[in-house]
Amino acid sequence: MSEELKLIDAAKAGSVGAFTELVGRYRDGLLRFLITRCSSVADAEDALQDTMINAYRYLKSYDPRWRFSTWLYRIAIRNAAKQRRDSYAGIDDVADEESDPLEMCIDASERENLWITAKRLFNDDVYTAMWLRYVEDMSINDVAAALERSGSWTKVNLMRARKALDAELNTPGARSEAYG
Amino acid sequence: MRNSIRRAPEVKPMDKLTRRMREDAAQIRAEVSPELDARIRASLEAAEPVREETPKPAPRAASMWWWSSLVGATGALAVIVFLNIGNETPGPAPTEVVDSAIPPSLNIQRAVMTAPLEQELENLESDLRKAEEALREDLGIFAREEEDTPEGP
Repeated sequence: MSEELKLIDAAKAGSVGAFTELVGRYRDGLLRFLITRCSSVADAEDALQDTMINAYRYLKSYDPRWRFSTWLYRIAIRNAAKQRRDSYAGIDDVADEESDPLEMCIDASERENLWITAKRLFNDDVYTAMWLRYVEDMSINDVAAALERSGSWTKVNLMRARKALDAELNTPGARSEAYG
Repeated sequence: MRNSIRRAPEVKPMDKLTRRMREDAAQIRAEVSPELDARIRASLEAAEPVREETPKPAPRAASMWWWSSLVGATGALAVIVFLNIGNETPGPAPTEVVDSAIPPSLNIQRAVMTAPLEQELENLESDLRKAEEALREDLGIFAREEEDTPEGP
């Protein structure tokens, strides 16, 4: 039995320590992902907290056929969407519309960060699919499962998004036909 | 002649775009602060895992008793009639049961084999639902834009 499965069993039995250790390795990656998906850093932190609590509360429903990270990201995607909905609805008191958290968390450099370009070009699901596939190194099936999308949708959109991003990087300013 | 030397499988090198995607993602500063860590820990200590509830048996209707009594009485009557008829005229000798083994249920294998397809079907339905939501959202935006646009002379 892998170490991760042992930790999952211990956490299912109610060990907070085992759960903290289990999610510890994904925490920073999740926060980075949530910063790209939420409208402020504070929202991303709230979404991370909600993700951890939901994962702990519903750990019994985790199906070990899937990778644990896939399940965790699926919860995170839902929480990020919820945070955005709340922000747009004006529920949050502090709304920093003028500052994109992604831009705030990137040091100024000569070249524009590719993920800022991607955020401008793609919708939420396509952007998330790109992130999970190329940053988190998930398989197509895992990406589809995390997004609750079909395998064919995932494959097609990843291919088109790559094309669009490549075209945008090579000819900046020109809108790509793939996502235009 | 066919080359008999088997080559080691080639590892596909990471292309330029993928490498840049990873590098740029790594540039995003994201670290869980000690305050956030403490906050998460405190919430976890306070959170209660959701217990799996065992489904309660559905309450039986009162008429169930009458129906079961009626069925039982009819069954008993049928057995008595059958035995009485059997005494008058001896029936044929009982035939030997050759194969009494219960055939394995094919449904199990079928369920295992079709599970991925069913999952894919669910995902395709999810695609459609999301596309419909996006379309409705777009139509709503268009409708709002049309309302906002002042009419010409």
